[in-house]
Amino acid sequence: MKEVAIPEALGGESFELEAHEGWLDWVASVDHKKIGLMYLFSSLIFFLVAGVLALVMRIQLAIPDNHFLSPAMYNQIFTMHGTTMIFLVVVPALVGFANYLVPLMIGARDMAFPRLNALGFWAQAFGGLMLYFSFATGAVNGGAPAIGWFGYAPLSETAFSYGPGVNYWILGLLGIGVGTLTAGINLIATVICLRAPGMSIRRLPLFVWMTLVTAFLIVLVMPILNAGLVMLLVDRLLNAHFFRAGSGGSAVLWQHVFWSFGHPEVYIMVLPAFGMISEIVPVFSGKPIYGYDFVAASTVAIAFLSLTVWAHHMFAVGLGHTFDLFFGFTSMAIAVPTGVKIFNWTATMYQGRVRFTTSMMFAVGFLLMFTIGGLSGVAFAVVPIDWQLTDSYFVVAHFHYVLFGGTAFAVFGGAYYWFPKMSGRMLDERWGKVHFWLTLIGFNLTFMVQHVLGMLGMPRRVFTYPPLPGWEAMNMISTVGAFILGFSVLIFIVNVVVSLRSGKVAGDNPWGAWTLEWATTSPPPEENFAHGVPPVRGRRPLWDLAHPDRTDEMMMKLAG
Amino acid sequence: MCLQFPAPEGYASRVRDGISLVGYDAFCTPPVVGVAMPGPYTANAFTLAPVSPQADAISQLFVGTLIFLGAILALVTFLVIFAVIRYRDRPGAPEAQQKFGSRKLELLWTVVPILSLVVLAGFMVRTMAVCDPPTADAKPDLRIVAHQWWWEIYYLKTGVVTANEIHIPVGKRLLVDFRSADVIHDFWAPDLGRKIDIVPGHPNRLWIEADRVGTYLGVCAEFCGNEHAWMRFLVIADPPERFAAWMKEQGAAPPKPVTADEQLGAKIYRERICTNCHMRSVGPDLTHIASRRTLAAGALENTPANLAAWLHDPDDFKPGSNMPNFKLSDEEVHALVAYLETQK
Amino acid sequence: MPDKTMPEKTLPENTMPDRTKVGVGLFLLSEGNFFLILLITYVYFHSMPGDGPSASSSLNPMHTLVFSICLFLSSATIHLAGRSFKLGKRRAVSGWLALTVALGAIFLCGQVREYLGLFAHGVSINTNLFGSTFFTLTGFHGLHVLIGLFALAALLGIAMSGRLGEIKPSGFEAVSMYWHFVDAVWVVIFTVVYLWPLVA
Repeated sequence: MKEVAIPEALGGESFELEAHEGWLDWVASVDHKKIGLMYLFSSLIFFLVAGVLALVMRIQLAIPDNHFLSPAMYNQIFTMHGTTMIFLVVVPALVGFANYLVPLMIGARDMAFPRLNALGFWAQAFGGLMLYFSFATGAVNGGAPAIGWFGYAPLSETAFSYGPGVNYWILGLLGIGVGTLTAGINLIATVICLRAPGMSIRRLPLFVWMTLVTAFLIVLVMPILNAGLVMLLVDRLLNAHFFRAGSGGSAVLWQHVFWSFGHPEVYIMVLPAFGMISEIVPVFSGKPIYGYDFVAASTVAIAFLSLTVWAHHMFAVGLGHTFDLFFGFTSMAIAVPTGVKIFNWTATMYQGRVRFTTSMMFAVGFLLMFTIGGLSGVAFAVVPIDWQLTDSYFVVAHFHYVLFGGTAFAVFGGAYYWFPKMSGRMLDERWGKVHFWLTLIGFNLTFMVQHVLGMLGMPRRVFTYPPLPGWEAMNMISTVGAFILGFSVLIFIVNVVVSLRSGKVAGDNPWGAWTLEWATTSPPPEENFAHGVPPVRGRRPLWDLAHPDRTDEMMMKLAG
Repeated sequence: MCLQFPAPEGYASRVRDGISLVGYDAFCTPPVVGVAMPGPYTANAFTLAPVSPQADAISQLFVGTLIFLGAILALVTFLVIFAVIRYRDRPGAPEAQQKFGSRKLELLWTVVPILSLVVLAGFMVRTMAVCDPPTADAKPDLRIVAHQWWWEIYYLKTGVVTANEIHIPVGKRLLVDFRSADVIHDFWAPDLGRKIDIVPGHPNRLWIEADRVGTYLGVCAEFCGNEHAWMRFLVIADPPERFAAWMKEQGAAPPKPVTADEQLGAKIYRERICTNCHMRSVGPDLTHIASRRTLAAGALENTPANLAAWLHDPDDFKPGSNMPNFKLSDEEVHALVAYLETQK
Repeated sequence: MPDKTMPEKTLPENTMPDRTKVGVGLFLLSEGNFFLILLITYVYFHSMPGDGPSASSSLNPMHTLVFSICLFLSSATIHLAGRSFKLGKRRAVSGWLALTVALGAIFLCGQVREYLGLFAHGVSINTNLFGSTFFTLTGFHGLHVLIGLFALAALLGIAMSGRLGEIKPSGFEAVSMYWHFVDAVWVVIFTVVYLWPLVA
């Protein structure tokens, strides 16, 4: 029950507001915290769905020439696995965290456009439903789209995909895209317009900073995808010729348009994760992030460069050595600012006091797993190596290392870190550690061997393979790893469910952290800061408050 | 739902279609009776076991790059593990030092990576020229047309047409001109060198060469639909005399059918107008089918038993392939196999 | 008690950018990119030889210029409506808004007439690449004009019913920015699609 007082001048009584929250409070909510949690919940559901799809794929691939799935079914499943993970799991998870945390971290009451925020979430949910509805349209050649998550033309044209599946894919992505785009607009407007006094741009928590840069990428590249999708839809439904080589169209054009979106999209999927690591590692090392300015600046560099590398997905298309070289150079260049971050995160731990909470373990795991994935990415920037290994299991290994070993590890780290703030309770640390080790082991078992499979010539997106030496054993290892990974997710979910009910009470600041979200209750009240926002005179407001004799500003001056 | 494992030796019964899920007609395809596993898959392809100068150039660059990247990984791993052990929180550990950064270090770990990448880029430029020699000026020796889900191969100088199996003379490089009949495919024989996309409306060319006699595995490496997994090919590098002999055989007219079975098979082949597809590039040219190692672009080893099984129901092996099930009787299949086996 | 600041009281409004302007500006940036891709696609295919109807054979730049001028003028009229809005002149606002709506509607009618003419000559979205790119590019622009007309009509309705004060300045500004954007996109499209064949 919440007591609401009416001022004397208006009658002076008080009444009690029902605090009971029904489902309608959630559905009709425009509060960024509720919307953020709904994004996270939706992301988790789709994570389970896409995870099951992956396990089904791995069953089919466990042995050569398997007949568990027909090729048509397998091809739909791998398409939906990829599309779901990217558009309905990773991006919404990051948008969810951003939604929840950014206003709190800048001392604001809500996002700049609360109603737009809600519209975005429900558009995303609707788009997801439309995408999955395609399974139910199954007829002999219908059903879900079977074109891969990047839907190359002309395979995605009507002539070669003549069921409604691809149309649902397009419409679903357009709907989901509304959610992503509005989130991007909202985040930028919020960070630019609603910061608490004293919170200059250079004092933004790095999670906010990286989310801001991500939001700019979203605003710039979602429309590119929309344009491509629209042209494909017009080709399919109105018999236009954009991507039909037979009538003068260009299959390569689709690739240019798609990857101009698609490459920045993968940075959209990783930059907020970098932001989470930038919050977690300092707190559990007990010292500020090393090289804040460089971590921030390198983020901007990555964003700019990400717009110049797209055709490294097209090295095998045969567009000429000059063309390939240009994109090879830019793709190598983008490794540099990423490396700068890895070194700064590592340096943050030096001369600190590292606390091995589950959150920190995932962050450290991120450092190693993402480095592996990033380095295999550098291998792909070397054009001739790409010419051998693109479209093989080596690239499947690469992107799972950066997306799972990278983003997913960071998101798990973020989950353990911010769950107390969101729910008021701690996740169980012991089960968290079990979750971490099972994840690390399962993940590496699943994907490390895939590097070798790629080098042995196993192409990607194949529903089966012949019994070549070593392929059988490695695929079986990969399948076993996948099931361990699946099991680890179950442990996480049980931890969440049980801790929501009976976890240890968290208090305002269980980790002794320093950014503004920890300056309010757990969970925060609807207006975020019931007793006002603490003064912001540095990057770590709560540190400064607790150590008025050695604030960050003072110490930075001393260091020179 | 059926969880299938490959049929053990002597598996006797045939299992019909499994459960149909919301209208799919083949959620499970049944295991096949008495058919050997697809071959000849005893040797592997391997990007680090090159058999051509092109593949060798890439392989060397790859090894060098792997060593370079491995060194970086080792360094980062060491730095991280060292940090978490040395600076772990424990009773008596010193206070965390509130440090904010170091311009010098930032410079170091920006400039050193840049310089290393410049070196790597230099090697890259050199390798590109070697592993993908220019193709514009020479005349192509082969034309390969990629179809869903088979390879059509033309030897432009001799007029020989074949499918799914490319013979080349050892030590001589041939220029291939690639076309697509439908969607984007990709030609990849890892032992021989780079892969190249085959894009409708965007012809590509590639030099292929093998320095050692052998059979090299190739795959389609761009998802092209239902049976992308079984769009495999073989590159067979023969000594020059054997290659010349092969070319001669392929160019000669196949022997006429002799036995009653063969003649019946020939008759069925005409009357069921198999030529409608198989001589019009809808399906692979069968003129010398008996001389090939595999059927259905690598899905099956080329044996009479397999050929018979394929003719009975192509969907058993390659569901979704464009070859219809002609519902042939056992006698018809027997005759056709007899006929086709003469087409060497 | 350390000094705290209520979150509602962020820095005074006039030192932080207006959130509506920022939001609409970002939205227009993203829409601009959308049109940019369609435009690049048009240019790419236009610069390649092709069969069938083309811009030079099928389009009439003079006719299109006539109703395009109406759209360009409507940017001026909405600007004047905005000035009157700031001064609180209800009748002037209604007048200028009505004129803007009318000019925009004339533009759309002109486009519809043009489309009908093209259909009559066998030029449609599926005819060839010119048809596909032309109708997609101009069609989406027309759709944006239509949506803009709805927004303008809403403003007009509120103004005419005497409730001008209920329109937030940032809201009026948002519609105005959108309308200018739609106009600017047409300047580019008109130049590239209609004028370029005359000189190339």
